[in-house]
Amino acid sequence: MVKKIGSVLLFLLFMSQTVYADFDIQKSIDKAKPGATITIPAGQYEGNFVLTKKITLRGEQGTELVALGDEPVLRIDNTATVTIENMTLSGNKQAIVASGVDGLELRYLNIKDIHTGVHIQRSKNVQIQHIEVAGNKEHYSNKGNGLAIFKSEDVVVEDANIDHVQDGIYVEEVKNLLVQNNKISNSRYGTHFMYSSNAQAFHNTYQNNVTGLMIMMTSDISIKSNHLENHNGLNGYGMLLYDVQQAVVELNTIMNNRTGVALQKSTGIQIECNDFRMNQTALEGMKVDGTSMASNNIFTGNIMTARSDQQGFLLANNYYDDYSGIDLENDGIGDVPYVAVSSFGQWMVRQPVYQYFVASPSVVLLTSLDQQINKTENTVLVDDAPKLRMKQITKINEMNFKQLLIGLLIVIASMCLWKRGMME
Amino acid sequence: MKKWILIVVVCCVILVSCREKTYGPREIVGETDVCKICNMSIVHHEYAGQIALKNGDYEIFDDLGCLMEYIHANGEDEIGAAFIKDTIKNEWIDVFKATFVYNMEYWTPMNYGVLAFETKDSAIEWMATKGDGQVLVYKDLLDFNWGIHQ
Repeated sequence: MVKKIGSVLLFLLFMSQTVYADFDIQKSIDKAKPGATITIPAGQYEGNFVLTKKITLRGEQGTELVALGDEPVLRIDNTATVTIENMTLSGNKQAIVASGVDGLELRYLNIKDIHTGVHIQRSKNVQIQHIEVAGNKEHYSNKGNGLAIFKSEDVVVEDANIDHVQDGIYVEEVKNLLVQNNKISNSRYGTHFMYSSNAQAFHNTYQNNVTGLMIMMTSDISIKSNHLENHNGLNGYGMLLYDVQQAVVELNTIMNNRTGVALQKSTGIQIECNDFRMNQTALEGMKVDGTSMASNNIFTGNIMTARSDQQGFLLANNYYDDYSGIDLENDGIGDVPYVAVSSFGQWMVRQPVYQYFVASPSVVLLTSLDQQINKTENTVLVDDAPKLRMKQITKINEMNFKQLLIGLLIVIASMCLWKRGMME
Repeated sequence: MKKWILIVVVCCVILVSCREKTYGPREIVGETDVCKICNMSIVHHEYAGQIALKNGDYEIFDDLGCLMEYIHANGEDEIGAAFIKDTIKNEWIDVFKATFVYNMEYWTPMNYGVLAFETKDSAIEWMATKGDGQVLVYKDLLDFNWGIHQ
């Protein structure tokens, strides 16, 4: 009997190892008429598959494609209307490489054990939805990007979950781009825009990367309702805008970063209604033009609110938890300006290693002196109308009748049991 | 005798202090080094550059274009030496003596498309397989239109 059980267990053990399915994917692709849908049965398939026609490749639950050698699992070249969905992809280098595709849809893909997840170039009308990319735990310089998109237009990336890669979403020379509802963590940059225009980043969550959003040489970008948290390494930023023209940064929650938002060489940046919490430095600016402004933001628990070079940027109508002014007119606006100028902050811009002295007694004293001296001067980083009350978000308490009924029943039952116990 | 020893010691000190200071490249530290100009982490070491300043400090760059932007902004007076990685050998070479090739299709971290080579011959050899480009020397880089070219 024991022998039989052992044999069955051994059989199951061997059966659970890699099983290569018989279905010939490449043959099916080659045979299919343009516009056809190919359903790949569950199982593991080894190979490097090439698509050059309109086609839908759909996996069943348990369909896994594994690359052979260093070639990608799927290569899609110079075609239109291709959909890949519902499968797991793995291999040595890239999972999917698409070039010159008009109308590419990638949905419900699980990409693992790979250097680069998806590489797209010279394509348009690209939709990437519900993709999971999990890299290994090596240093980010030894890994590729989760999704990399080059020289393309009209691209949407949404609901992706990317972890442990170099850059979660790397975008270079892309026009008309929407990145939303993605979650990217433990990578170098969560999302990295370069040389792109008309881009939108909404409702994304970035955690524990070197920098959450790295935006470089990009114009016309809207960054709204994102959550950027725990970018607190030596060179960590919640968001860094370098050489950016015309950006709106609004309604984001930026917390526990070394620097919340940094602006460098940028023009026309509006930072509005964001929540800066517990950052080492909330806002930093270098070579920022005079039209860039931070207004109606909430600054709470940050060690340093703002720092800049001599050029500075504008602050208006923000709430600062360290503001000590009064409001005799009772209009909700402080009667004396808030001064964010800090000599130490300006030194720290030039020498980042000074950050290690940021809360030392001498620096605290120096900052207090700065605030007293600069109140009478018209300098940079002064908010003439600081808010004294932060906008309260009041949530209406909704009653959950189901929970209330269950609770009441439990209380009544407990009381009955207790009473019966007492009677006995 | 003591007098002579003193003269010899003084001469040695003078000679040591008068010798030309040499500057060498340092290792890039992936965890902490970021480009002085654009703040990018250095992950593609094969395109990195560095400047050894006369005061002993080093400035690190992720792309030749950033290194040239630093020189534009700060001049050459304080520079002891400048290094860039040779595209073929992935070794540090002198920026001032190197040969450069520009091709807008060459990828670099900032997409400036200028690669460095130790010799003109190796640059020509590279172009034979990777596509023709415009051959440049350091002087040309000072007037070069850095930025993306479409």
